Amino acid sequence: MSVARDQLAAIRALPLSGPVRIMNVCGGHERTISMAGLRTALPNDIRLIPGPGCPVCICPEEDIYQAIRLALDERVVLASFGDMLRVPVNVPRSAVRSLDQARAAGGEVRPIASPRDAVRIAREHPGRPVVFHAVGFETTLGPIAAMIEEGLPDNLSLLVSGRLTWPAVAMLLESEQPGFDALIAPGHVSTLMGPEEWTFVPEHHGLPTAVAGFTPESIVAATLSVLTQRLEGRAVLDNCYSAARPGGNTVARAALERCFDIVPAIWRGIGSIPGSGFALKPHLAAHDARRRFPGYADEARRNAGAMPPGCDCARVVLGKILPPECRIYGSPCTPRTPVGPCMVSDEGACRIWWSSGIRERSAERRADAPAAPA
Amino acid sequence: MCLAIPMQIVQIDGHNAICSVQGVRRDVSLSLVQDQALAVGDFVLVHVGYAIQTLTPEEARDSLDLFDELMTADAVEAESSSHA
Repeated sequence: MSVARDQLAAIRALPLSGPVRIMNVCGGHERTISMAGLRTALPNDIRLIPGPGCPVCICPEEDIYQAIRLALDERVVLASFGDMLRVPVNVPRSAVRSLDQARAAGGEVRPIASPRDAVRIAREHPGRPVVFHAVGFETTLGPIAAMIEEGLPDNLSLLVSGRLTWPAVAMLLESEQPGFDALIAPGHVSTLMGPEEWTFVPEHHGLPTAVAGFTPESIVAATLSVLTQRLEGRAVLDNCYSAARPGGNTVARAALERCFDIVPAIWRGIGSIPGSGFALKPHLAAHDARRRFPGYADEARRNAGAMPPGCDCARVVLGKILPPECRIYGSPCTPRTPVGPCMVSDEGACRIWWSSGIRERSAERRADAPAAPA
Repeated sequence: MCLAIPMQIVQIDGHNAICSVQGVRRDVSLSLVQDQALAVGDFVLVHVGYAIQTLTPEEARDSLDLFDELMTADAVEAESSSHA
C-alpha cells in the first residue's frame, strides 16, 4: 500500500480550487473505493460518485418479468446469474415478484455462475426448453458470445439483456447536467473492448479520463491522473490498468461482432439509450427466447419498465444522488429486504455502501453539487 | 458482475483448462485467449468461467492481494449479518 500512500499524499498536495466530481461506472471500482475507505482518505473536495456500473440494476424490468413468467411455465428451465434472483418486478404483492419467488412457487430456476452452466443444464434436460437470461455488460457478453460459438444445444435459448456501458456515459455527457468533471473508466470492460472505447470522453467532451483496475493503488493512481490533468487544463485517456491492453481482447470482440447486433435498448428506470444493447444476430434467431417465447411479456402492466415505486435507484444509477440520499435507504430498503435493484446486487451502489458500514439515510452529501471551475 | 479473478493454469486440454486459485480448482474455457500461447503455470484473468486475458505473474499477484481482501470483507459481512 506504500505506492497508494505516496499517491494519496500527492493528491492531498494538489492545489485544487474547489470540488471535483469523479464518476466511476463499475461496481467493482465502487466496491474497492468503499471497502478501502478511499472517500475518507481523500480530501473532501474530491467527490467519488458511483454511476451506471451495475448491469443487474438497469436490467429492464420487462425482461425480468418475462424471465419470471418463463420460469413459471412448467416446461421451462430458467437459468440466470445468481445476482438476478431477488430483483423485484412491479406486480401486486400477491403475485410472484422475483425469480426467487418463482422458484418457491415451483418454477425451475437455476442460479448459474457461468454461461457454460446453461449449456450443461440444457444437455441434462434434452426434452425441456432451457432459457438463459443473459444479463451483463461487455465483460460478460464476451464469454456469452464464446458460449454461443462453442455450440448451443437445440433446446437452449437466450433472453439477452446485455448492455454496453459507454453509451450511458455518452448520454450523461450529452445531457444538460452530466454531474461529473472526470471519469474513472471500467477496467474489465476495457480489458475486453480496449481502453480506446473511452477516448470519446476526453476528445469529444473534454473530461480527464483514466482506466483503473481494482486495487486501491490502481484507483488512487487513476484519481491522481484525472486530477492532475484537470489542474494542467488538459484531458486525455490514461490507462492505469495493465490488464486492459491496447485493442482489448480481439478474439472476444470478433465473437461479439459475429453474435450480436448493437441496438437501442431500455435501461430500467432511465429509458432507451441509443446503441446500448446487444441483440442476437438473425442467424441465431432459433435460439432467441424473445422469438421462441413471444407472449410472456406484458408491457401493459402498471409501472412496467419502471424502478420499484418509491425507490430512487434510477437517480443512484445515474450518479444524481448518493445511495444514502435515497428516500428509502436503510428503511425499508436493506440487503435483507431490498426494494430496489441497487440494494439487491453485489454491484449495486446501495448494497456496496451498506456493506461498507453506511447504515443511515442522509441527505447531506449531494453528488450533484456543482464543482468550481478548475 | 464484472468481477474477474486471476487464476493459474494447472492443466490444458484444447480450449479447456483446469485453473486454480488458493487451492480451489475450476474448469475454465481458454477460447477467448486462444490467440495466445499458453502453458501450465501461466496466469489468466477469469470471468464467468472464461479466461478474458492473460496476466503476468506480477499482475496476478496484485489482483490476488485484492481478492484476499474482498474475500475477507465478504466473510466479515456474512458473519455480521448472520448475527444481526
